[in-house]
Amino acid sequence: MTFDEKPATPTPRSRSANGVKAGEASTLIDALLAEQRQLTAVEEFSRSHDAHEARGQRYKKLLPASAPAPGQQYAFEVDLDKCSGCKACVTACHSLNGLDDDETWRSVGQLISGDWRTPAKQVVTTACHHCVDPGCLNGCPVLAYDKDPVTGIVKHLDDQCIGCQYCVMKCPYEVPQYLPKRGIVRKCDMCSARLAAGEAPACVQACPNEAIKITVVDQSRVRGKYRQLATLNFRSSTNSPATNLFLPDSPNPAITLPTTRYVTTRTLPADLEAEDAHDVQPSKAHVPLTFLLVLSQLGVGLTLLSALADGRSRMIAIAALVATLIAVNLGTLHLGQPLKAWRGFLGWRKSWFSRELIAFGAFIGALSLHVVILHPLSAILAACTGLAAVFCSAMIYVDTRRPFWNAPMTFGKFFSTTLLLGGAGALGFGESTTALVAVLAGTATKLAFENRIFRFLVDEQDPHLTALNKTALLLNDRFAFTSRARVFCALIGGIVLPLIAALTNHSTILLTVAALTFCLAGELIERHLFFVAEVAPKMPGGVA
Amino acid sequence: MKKTSPVAADVSPRQISSNEVSRALTSAPTKENSLLREWHGPLSAELTLHPGNFGLGKVPARLRPDATTRSVCGFCSTGCSLDVHLQSGQAVNLTPTVDYPVNLGMACPKGWEALTCLAAPDRATMPLLRNPKTGKLEPTDWDEAMQVFTLKFKALMDQHGPESVAVLSTGQICTEEMAFLGALFKFGMGGLHADSNTRQCMATSHVAYKQSFGFDAPPYTYADFEESDVLVFIGSNLCIAHPIMWQRVLRNKKNPAVIVVDPRKTETALNATQHLALRPKSDLTLLYGIANLLAQNGWVDHGFIKRSTTNYEAFIEFIRQFTPDKVAAETGLTVGELYRFAETIHQGKAVSFWWTMGVNQSHESTRTAQAIINLALMTGNIGRPGTGANSITGQCNAMGSRLFANATSLLGGRDFLKAEHREHVAKVLHIEPSRIPAKNSLAYDQIIQGIADGKIKGLWVIATNSIHSWIDSAKLDSVFDKLEFLVVQDMFTTTDTAKRAHLILPAAGWGEKEGTFINSERRFGHVKKVSRAPGQALSDFSIFRLVAEYWGCADMFTQWTSPQAAFQIIKKLSSGQPCDITGIEDYRHLDAEGGIQWPFPELRSAKFGVRNGESASTPQDSALRTPHSAFKERRLFADGKFFLPDGKAYFYFDAPRSVSEPTDKDFPFVLLTGRGTSAQWHTNTRTGKSAVLRTLYPAEPYLEIHPNDATRLRIEPNSRVAIISRRARIEVTAIVTPTAQLGAVFIPMHYDVTNQLTKAEFDPHSRQPSYKYCAVRVEAIKA
Repeated sequence: MTFDEKPATPTPRSRSANGVKAGEASTLIDALLAEQRQLTAVEEFSRSHDAHEARGQRYKKLLPASAPAPGQQYAFEVDLDKCSGCKACVTACHSLNGLDDDETWRSVGQLISGDWRTPAKQVVTTACHHCVDPGCLNGCPVLAYDKDPVTGIVKHLDDQCIGCQYCVMKCPYEVPQYLPKRGIVRKCDMCSARLAAGEAPACVQACPNEAIKITVVDQSRVRGKYRQLATLNFRSSTNSPATNLFLPDSPNPAITLPTTRYVTTRTLPADLEAEDAHDVQPSKAHVPLTFLLVLSQLGVGLTLLSALADGRSRMIAIAALVATLIAVNLGTLHLGQPLKAWRGFLGWRKSWFSRELIAFGAFIGALSLHVVILHPLSAILAACTGLAAVFCSAMIYVDTRRPFWNAPMTFGKFFSTTLLLGGAGALGFGESTTALVAVLAGTATKLAFENRIFRFLVDEQDPHLTALNKTALLLNDRFAFTSRARVFCALIGGIVLPLIAALTNHSTILLTVAALTFCLAGELIERHLFFVAEVAPKMPGGVA
Repeated sequence: MKKTSPVAADVSPRQISSNEVSRALTSAPTKENSLLREWHGPLSAELTLHPGNFGLGKVPARLRPDATTRSVCGFCSTGCSLDVHLQSGQAVNLTPTVDYPVNLGMACPKGWEALTCLAAPDRATMPLLRNPKTGKLEPTDWDEAMQVFTLKFKALMDQHGPESVAVLSTGQICTEEMAFLGALFKFGMGGLHADSNTRQCMATSHVAYKQSFGFDAPPYTYADFEESDVLVFIGSNLCIAHPIMWQRVLRNKKNPAVIVVDPRKTETALNATQHLALRPKSDLTLLYGIANLLAQNGWVDHGFIKRSTTNYEAFIEFIRQFTPDKVAAETGLTVGELYRFAETIHQGKAVSFWWTMGVNQSHESTRTAQAIINLALMTGNIGRPGTGANSITGQCNAMGSRLFANATSLLGGRDFLKAEHREHVAKVLHIEPSRIPAKNSLAYDQIIQGIADGKIKGLWVIATNSIHSWIDSAKLDSVFDKLEFLVVQDMFTTTDTAKRAHLILPAAGWGEKEGTFINSERRFGHVKKVSRAPGQALSDFSIFRLVAEYWGCADMFTQWTSPQAAFQIIKKLSSGQPCDITGIEDYRHLDAEGGIQWPFPELRSAKFGVRNGESASTPQDSALRTPHSAFKERRLFADGKFFLPDGKAYFYFDAPRSVSEPTDKDFPFVLLTGRGTSAQWHTNTRTGKSAVLRTLYPAEPYLEIHPNDATRLRIEPNSRVAIISRRARIEVTAIVTPTAQLGAVFIPMHYDVTNQLTKAEFDPHSRQPSYKYCAVRVEAIKA
C-alpha cells in the first residue's frame, strides 16, 4: 500500500479550508446522526390493516374443505411439478414461527438423475410427515409427543421433553431437532394453531407456486400402501419402484407410515438419487451414552461372571454395582433436562428407552440385594435382570431400524462387550478359568461381529452407496486410525494380556489392570464408532 | 391439472364447512397439566402464536407488532413489497405484502430474511482509518474521516488531475442516493470517472434498448408473464434467480409454450416445453438463424415492420447466411429443434422474449440482446399484452442506476456529450453548466485498467465488493495495491474490498434509510426506514451530505436536504424524458398506490383515474390511456411509437465473433458461472449473515460437471477437484449431474474463488464483462 500519512495537521473541528466552519461541520454530523436514529416510518406511512382478512386466510383453498373423519388425518401434499426450488417455505416457516436463528422445521433437497440420457432434477421440500405410526412418539420415554386424535398432527410437548434425543434417532426423516441451548427437541406442528383459526400453515402461505397444501388422508390407506415394504430396511432398495411409492431415495416409509404425499404428473426417472447421496458424513458423537453403555455392560458382565462362579464374591458384586451406578449417572449428562428424567418410565408401553430405565432400575435393585445377601440365587436374579437391561439397551438402537444398528450386529456387540468386560474385570478378582474363557470368547466374537461391516466396503456393481457402504467407508477412511486403535486395544486387552496371564500362570495385579484398561478403552472406542460411523437415514438433501 | 399420484390414497371426506374444520380442530379438549404430563409451560410458550392483527394472521407472541408498514425489498430487481412488522417503530419481523401488484403476498428466501443481516456482528459502526504505522484499521470519528477523505482526494486531484480519482458504485442503494452521488462527484467534486456494479449486470440491456428503441426502456409489466401464450427465456434461470417472477409464469392460465435457451438444464429448463441446450456462446448465431427461419417462411408482421421499424431490409439480407444447417452445426442443436422454435414463435398470438445474464454477460452481448429485440420487432410481438423483448434486471435498483446515477448517462437518461442536455440539467439543479463534464466516464473495466496503469490513484467504492465480483479477480489484489487512497463505504467491514480500504465509511443498510428503487418493470417502489443503524453508521445520503459539506461544495446542494427532497429533484430531472415521473406526488403517493411505473407524467388532471379520455400525443401518454384497473400494470409501445427521433425502432446486427479464449487441448472445458441458489445474493455479503439462508446453500464452492466427463476424468461425486484456468487454480467439490452440458462446467458466482478463473473480456458496446465463458481444465484430486 502506498497510503502514507494522516493529514499533517489533524485539527478536528477547527479547519477552515473550503469554507467548512468547525461549528457547522460538527453540527451537521450531530444532526445527521440524530436523524439516523429516528424511525418515522410509522407516523408517516403506517396504515391500519385491521379491516383486512388475515393473510393466512387468503390461502384457504389450499386447506381441506372438511375436517378429518375418524380414521383420517391431515397431511401435507407436495406437488413436485410446482415446486421450483425457491425455498421460501423454509424461511417463512422460520420467520412466522419465531424459530431460533439456525433452527428450521422444513428443508429442501434435490433428486438428480444419475443417467446422462435423462437429465432430471427434482426439488423436494420436506417437513414433519405427521406419520400414522410416528417413530418419535413411539420412542419417547416421557410421552412428550401427542398425536392429536382429531387432526392426526404429531405435536411435541416442549415442557415435557427431557432432551434425551431418542426421537431424533427414531425419526427416519431428521425431523425432531435438538436445541442444546434449550435442552429440548422441537419440531413442526403443521402450524396447528393457524389451522385451528382457519389460516394456512406458514409454508403453505409462503409458496409462490402453491406447491404445498394440506389434505385429509385415510390412515388405513397409508398403512395399506406401504405394507408391502415392511420387510425392507432403510434404503435397501432405493431405486426400486417400491420405495418410489413415497419418494425416490428416501427412507423406507413402512417404518413410520409418513402421511405426506408427493404428487406429480410426470414419470420420475427410476434412478433418481439425492444430491447428497454420495456425501459421507459422520453422525454426532454421544460421549455420555458411550460411557453409559460400556460401563453398564461392565457392571452386568461382572454380575454375570460372579453368578457363573458361585456368587460369593462381594468385591465383584460391589464393583459391578459401582460400575453400573457410575454408568447411570454419566448417562444423565446426555439429557437436556435431567431434572425431568424421573418421568422416564411413562413410555414403557412402546419405548425401549423407558424399558431400559426400568430394567436398569430393577438390576440396580437386584444387585444391591445381592451385595447384601450374597446368595447364589440373588446372583442369578441380578445377572438375569442385568442381561435383560442390556437387551433393552440393544433394543433402543435396533428399534431405530438403522442398518448399522441392526439386531445381529447390535446384540452381538452389546452381549459380547458384557461378556468380555465381565471376564476382564473378573480376572482381576482372581476368577481365572471362566473369566479367561469369557474374555477370550467375548473378544473374539466381538471382533468377528465388528469385522462384518467391511464386507460393505466396496461394491463395484452398484455405484449407489447404501447406509452400510457409507459406514464401512467412514470406518475405513475417516476413522481408519480410530478403527485400528480399537482392534489393537481389543487384541492386547482381550487376547494377549489374558493369555500371558494364563500361560505364565502369573496373574499379577498389573497385568490384570492393564488387560481391563485396554479392554475398556477398546470397548469405549468401539461404542464411540457405533455412534459416529452410523449414517442416519434422511430425506433427499443437497450438498452441504 | 389432474394429478396422478404414485400415492393412490384418495379419500372421500365428509363435506363440511371450514368453520366446522376450525371447530373440529379445537374440539380436542384443552389439556391440563398434571404431575406426569406438562402440556403447557414456559418452553411451549416460546412458540405460542397469537393473532398479529394488521391482516397478518397469527404471529409468534414475542414478535407481535404494534404497527406495520410496507417497504420494497432490497435484494433483486423483482421489487417485492414486504410488510415490515414493527414494535415501537423498530422492525422485528416481516411478511410479503399480499395486495402489492408485484409479488402478490410472496417473497423468496432472501426477502424473508431481509432484516437478518442488519444485526450482523461485522457491521461497520464507526469510520475506520488505516493507521499507516500499524497498517491496521482503527476507529475514528466522522469529522476526522471526512477531513481525511477530503484532504486525500483533493491532494490526488490537485496533483494528478481530476481524472485520478474514480467512483465505483452500486445498484443496491436508493435512486436519490445514486443521483446525489453522481451529482456530487461529477458536479461538486469535479470528478469524471464513475461507474457501478450495474456494469456487471445491466449495461448490455441499457445499451441495447437505447440503440434499438431510443431510450433504456424495458417495455413490459409482470402481467405479461401471465398473458403470453409463448414465453422464450434466453440465458435466464428464472426459477432460481427471480422466483417471484416464475410465480407469475405458473399463474399463466393459457397453458403456454415455455422455451428455454440455456446450455445448462437449469431448473427453468426442466420446467420448459422446449429446452434448446445450445453450445455456450452460440446464442447470437441461434437467434439470427431463428430470425432467418421466420423471414424465409414469411412468419413476420410486415405491417408492424413498415410502420414501426427501420433497417429491416438490411437485417434480412444479413441473416440470410444463417441457414438452418449452418446454425445447427454451430449451436449443436438439430435443424428440427430450430424449426420447432421458429414455428412456436410463429404460432404464438402473444410471444414474449425474456433475457437475463446469460445474454448480458457475454463478449457480444449487446448484439445478442438486440437479436432478441429484433425477433420481437419482426414478429410484431411488442406493445401488446403478453409480448415484448424483455430484459429482466438484476439488482434492486439497477434501473435507478441506469437512469439517475449520472455515471454513463447524464441524469435522467441524458447524454453528457450534448450541450443542450447539460444546460437543461444545470438549469434544473441551479448550477453552472460548466460544472457538468462534457466527457463520458470510463467504464468499470477501464477504471480498473486506469488503476493498474497508475493513472487512477484514488478510488471511492460504495456498496459493492469489487474484489470478489469483478472478472479475473486473481489480479485485482495487485491492482488495488497501487491505489494511494481507497475509501470503501459499506454496511460491513469484512468484505474482501473493505478489508483493503484506507478508510471505511460505515453505511446504514436497506431498512435503515429511506428512498426509492425502480424495479425491472419500471416501477418506483418506496423503501422505508424501519430499523436503527448500528453505532455511527449513516445512510449513504447523509454521508454524501457530509462529503459535500467537507468538500466545500455544499452550496451547490442546498436542495438535497433529504431523500424526499431529492426525489422532487429527480422528478424535475425526469420531466420530458420517456421516464417522466412528474405525476408522482411524493413518497406517500407511491406508498398508497403500491408503487408506480414510469412513465407517469403530470397531466392536466393529476389523478390517473380520469385519464381515460386524455388525448395522447407522446408514447408515454398513450401508455396511460388504460382503464384504472389495468393502470397498476402498464407496458410501453402500445402505439408502435419508439423513442428514436423518427419514432421507429431500429434493427441492429453484427456478425458473430468467436470468444477470445476458445477451449483447446490444455483447457478443454468451458466454464460457466451464475447464480447457485435462490438463497444467495451475489457476493453473499448480506445473505451469508443469515443462519437460515446458510442452511439453504452449500457452504463450500462446488462445480457441476456432466456424468460422462466425470467418469472420463475419474471424478467421484462429491470429491474434491481442481479447476485450472490460465489465470488461477482453485479447488472445489464436484457435483456430478446430467443437467450440466458435456464439456461445460458450472460454478456459482457467490464464492470468492470463482472469478479468479474468469477471463477479462468485454462486450465492445456495453463494456459488460463476459462471465459466462472461459477455458478451464478439471482434475480429480486424489484423496
